[in-house]
Amino acid sequence: MMILRRIVLAAAGVALMHMGALAQPEKINRVGLVSVGASGVLILGPGVARDFAQRGYVEGQNIVFERWAAHGKVGSLPGFIEELVASHVDVIITQSYPAALAAKEHAGNTPIVVTFSGDPVATGLVTSLAHPGGNITGVSEIAAELSAKRLAILKEAVPSVHNVAVLWNADDFGMTLRYQAAEAEAKRSGMLITPLGVRAPDDFDTAFSEMKKTPPDAIMMVTDVLTVLNRERVIDFAEEHRLPAIFEYAYLVRDGGLMSYGPDVDAIFDRAVGLADRILKGTKPAELPLELPTRFELAINLKTAKALGLTIPESILVRADDLIE
Amino acid sequence: MNSPDERATVRPRRPLFYKYFVALFVAVVVPLLADGLSEAWFGYRDQRAFLTQRLHAEARSAAGKIEGFLDDITDQLQWTVQLPWREGMDERHRFDVLRLMRQVPAVLDVVLVDGNGVERLHVSRVDPDVVNSGIDRNNDPAVVGARSDRTWYGPVTLYEGSEPHMTVAVAGAREANGITIAVINLKLIRDVILAIHVGQSGDAFVLGRSGRLVAHPDISLVLRGDDDPAAARLRELWQAAIVAGGETAEGADGNNRPVIAAMAAIPGPEWTAFVEEPAAEAFMPLRAALWRTGYLALGGALFAAALAYLLARRMTGPIALLEKGAEEIGAGHFDHKIKISTGDELEGLAQRFNEMAGELAVSQERSERIARLRRFLAPQVAELVEGSDQQSLLDSHRAEVVVIFCDLRGFTGFAGAAAPEEVMGLLQEYYEALGVIITRYEATLTCFMGDGLMLLLNAPVPCPKPALRGVRLAVEMQASVQSLTRKWRARGHAVGFGVGLAKDPATVGRIGYEGRHDYTAIGNVVNLASRICAAAADGQILIDAAVAREIGDAFALAPLGTRPLRGFAEAVPVFSVKLPERDVAALSAAE
Repeated sequence: MMILRRIVLAAAGVALMHMGALAQPEKINRVGLVSVGASGVLILGPGVARDFAQRGYVEGQNIVFERWAAHGKVGSLPGFIEELVASHVDVIITQSYPAALAAKEHAGNTPIVVTFSGDPVATGLVTSLAHPGGNITGVSEIAAELSAKRLAILKEAVPSVHNVAVLWNADDFGMTLRYQAAEAEAKRSGMLITPLGVRAPDDFDTAFSEMKKTPPDAIMMVTDVLTVLNRERVIDFAEEHRLPAIFEYAYLVRDGGLMSYGPDVDAIFDRAVGLADRILKGTKPAELPLELPTRFELAINLKTAKALGLTIPESILVRADDLIE
Repeated sequence: MNSPDERATVRPRRPLFYKYFVALFVAVVVPLLADGLSEAWFGYRDQRAFLTQRLHAEARSAAGKIEGFLDDITDQLQWTVQLPWREGMDERHRFDVLRLMRQVPAVLDVVLVDGNGVERLHVSRVDPDVVNSGIDRNNDPAVVGARSDRTWYGPVTLYEGSEPHMTVAVAGAREANGITIAVINLKLIRDVILAIHVGQSGDAFVLGRSGRLVAHPDISLVLRGDDDPAAARLRELWQAAIVAGGETAEGADGNNRPVIAAMAAIPGPEWTAFVEEPAAEAFMPLRAALWRTGYLALGGALFAAALAYLLARRMTGPIALLEKGAEEIGAGHFDHKIKISTGDELEGLAQRFNEMAGELAVSQERSERIARLRRFLAPQVAELVEGSDQQSLLDSHRAEVVVIFCDLRGFTGFAGAAAPEEVMGLLQEYYEALGVIITRYEATLTCFMGDGLMLLLNAPVPCPKPALRGVRLAVEMQASVQSLTRKWRARGHAVGFGVGLAKDPATVGRIGYEGRHDYTAIGNVVNLASRICAAAADGQILIDAAVAREIGDAFALAPLGTRPLRGFAEAVPVFSVKLPERDVAALSAAE
């Protein structure tokens, strides 16, 4: 009789569980997306929603995104973060160091996934990659070292390059580190660097007139929100003055830049979404180590190369992941 | 006899139904359970063996896949050591490396060493390329290892304490081809590991030489480094698997879920591939089999119970009928028929019961008849008459009978004066004394009339010399009653006893109505005997001439001449029987 009763109870339990699963309304996950840059691109672009969709989240059905773009105004970031905390988002995904910093300072206990924030250990966002502690995890970058690699690739692609003008946001500590890495490499390899630090959109005119005054052999643009917002001006300037330019990410090459070398942006967002997914499923950010990018891509815009009258050597073409014809 | 109500209270302590039920139930359930248990046990062993086999096969397969991942890399690395380091070949070597890195994303860093152990090229995904650094790599363990084994796998290291990397070195077929040292990003094994599924939700992971977690579907576990509790648990599972030997190991996975695990070695890098399946899932078929056995046993038990119930009912049903039948028969309902048609011994038994009831009915009827006969026949005669086929003896017919009358003298006067108890007490003694003698002589008693009675001899059962027998009977009666009358007289009751006998043919037969039959004789001889008796004085036995003739000189007779008797036209000759000496002596002795 006991056995019979247990069977009946178990059956009832299973039935109830199924009914419960049917009856229970699906939890709506709220994800805050914060970029210091423009809206509609990168983390605020459609790719992130696609990455979530691949993990079973349907926008408007079981996930809601709250997107905030600072358009370069770093000062507005803390307000965005507070808005997100007030609307009880489950996780905040940030793009750029200023957004990560604002989130760390203003998000309280809300989990944060950082992207494109430079080296989070070096900048003090987290204590270590393996054990971030706190409520921050994300994708780290091997950003600074790559400046040297970029310079080397530029030199190899256009061996005549000697004097390289470096454009970077001099207000951003992470970006300055990248500039410094390039400077060190130039010194090592016997090249010249023209430092063109910018702090505001207007500074680009100064930089351009500087380059007109003493024309460099090539341009290297360190990517941050300020430079990205002004990327078209830089690309146009390079084209006008027939200067080869190297960027950090492939999307800038697709916009007309000559070449780029850096981590695969889509892969970085995909991993960030992977971490956010784990957080939405209940894992504490402190238990999720920061990940380093595993894939780097070399992109070359052959159209631009042709316009510049450049012949890219085989040793560069052979390693290109993305050739834009 | 118990009344049915009393019987109901004496219920059997352990009813037959219960016994049959238990016996039959046990007979079915015990083999069933034994079978179920043995099946469960052997099923468990088979399932366990199958699980071990399956997990080991999965582990070998996983090890094979990991090995395949590494082999792919070393195969690609082999391309970079196909050509010797000759003059003008540097660019060829560089292209080999660039193509390799384009082809194999897991390769982070490549160093080419020439046949002399000098570093010729260093290509990295992060740092600028370095050509002809001239560093002497002869003492590099990678170079030493590759020289001796062609392929060398370094230990797994953690970049920044998090990302697992491994150095691999391959040597060319000729020493001049040099050696390629590559740093592999082991995070990329993830794609291989994620593709391995064990059962429904089981997975695989890989431990390095010292138990360092190299690959796991949850990349976070790998990136957390060595000091993480999850990594420690996986190392415990490794120890458990070593202890378990060829068997499967039980432990907890990285997420602290109980798992069953098996391992297989990956010989090159000396890693170990593990497959783990949640214990709950791995034992699911086992548990399902156990449940199945349980359900079958339960069903079997229910079936056995139903079967036992039906069989026990079949057994005890007829028995209850028999019991009821016996009760009915006991209550005298001999026409009750027990209806059992089971076709077995019980039906036979019921048959016997029914026959017995019939026999009882016959027997009772007979004993009733005997009782009726004993109203007028001596018990032995009654038996004889009933037992023989001489029922016709009782039919009316003419026979020469000896009729004996006797009664007490002076009784009417005594009865009028004495207390009823005294009267009845006296009669009691009197009839008891007579009854013994009448029975002994097998005389037929036709009727009592107060203190008198009438006896017949030679009817309904004929006997030789009925007159002599009658006289002997009378003598004994007289002697017996005389000893009583002496006692009565001593008590002041003047009561005597006289007997009269006569012999003559008469009509004999039964008279009366249903249930009240007497046997009697009709004829002159009855009146004669009655009159002679009336004529007899106390202590006298008077007989008629026919009797006297028959007894001859067996007794001394005193002819009393003829006597006028009422109802007889002529005077009748009467004789008095002289009591034998010994009787007289006995009488005087008693006095």
